[in-house]
Amino acid sequence: MWKTRSRAAPLSRLRPILDQTGLFMKIVAAQKILKANDQLAEENRRRFSASGVFGVNIVGSPGCGKTTLLEALIGRFGDSLAPAVIEGDIAGSIDAQRIDALGVPVVQINTDGACHLDAQMVNAAASNFDLGQLDLLLIENVGNLVCTAGFDLGEHRRIVLLSVPEGDDKIAKYPAIFRGSHALAITKIDLLPHFDFSVDRVVADMRRLAPAARIFELSAKSGAGVAEIGDWLQAEIAYTASR
Amino acid sequence: MHELSIVEALIGQVEAEVERAGARGQVARLKLSIGRLSGVNADAVRFAFELLTPGTRLAGAELEIDEPKAVCLCAACGARTEIEELSLGCPACQSGDITIDGGREMLLETIDVDEFDR
Repeated sequence: MWKTRSRAAPLSRLRPILDQTGLFMKIVAAQKILKANDQLAEENRRRFSASGVFGVNIVGSPGCGKTTLLEALIGRFGDSLAPAVIEGDIAGSIDAQRIDALGVPVVQINTDGACHLDAQMVNAAASNFDLGQLDLLLIENVGNLVCTAGFDLGEHRRIVLLSVPEGDDKIAKYPAIFRGSHALAITKIDLLPHFDFSVDRVVADMRRLAPAARIFELSAKSGAGVAEIGDWLQAEIAYTASR
Repeated sequence: MHELSIVEALIGQVEAEVERAGARGQVARLKLSIGRLSGVNADAVRFAFELLTPGTRLAGAELEIDEPKAVCLCAACGARTEIEELSLGCPACQSGDITIDGGREMLLETIDVDEFDR
């Protein structure tokens, strides 16, 4: 079984020690880099939970189907859940327009070149919503399998997408983003006949990296898998609300 | 290049710590620990550091980065292998029944402030 243990975070207490030379002041900081992001992410999570909002961070390569999944989930939930969407893109508002067309509140974040969203951006974007009126906040991250891995946004669950045309070796090549995700959605499975893509290999790799993660096979074309991932998400929302 | 925003955050963090310690000089040396499995590239951090520190209290500071490896413990063959990248199986016997220990840390360890030239 795969288990991961990381060294416990050392005391972030500051202990200034004067170097023997007396010329330098040595500050033993011993604290996490990105501490500020982690703290703000924690604050976001508390704020969402307090308002009964479930946050989902959706990550994957450009073109893997993140916005299409959002559209499908919004359609599936109908009136049973009140969603809002934060769209993260380097530029433009194409995705936000697609969500807006569904009548769902949406805020577009343009990262202005940055390759990922961070907790500060999400904090600011979330202030545009009346959280008390929402059940679900879907955050579509910038299309990127690398940089998005290091930044907690304050979500409750992270879903990573891998589309069939990207190839079945991506989990082995970009392990960090898959390792920290709660669910994997293999998208565009209607294209399987046209690609040498082994679903078994992807499932085996994911099982090794993230044994607890749920795995879904989706096709926006046929609608396959949308019910399953929607039901899972609703169960996760109910479970989180009950705690 | 998430290293750019990481270094940007790091500069703010170092400046805050220096302030908190009541030091007044320039930062002379900085020691970081960036694990091999942290997903952050030490060379990209060095590059971003050169790019972003001029004009700050960290300008010209020496940057020392420790890059600890992770350890792969295999339940099948008992091997204990140091690894530099995330592996899906035991390097010795390929079994998937493994535990990966460490290598994910991303720490600001120490800051040396030049208090002589203040």
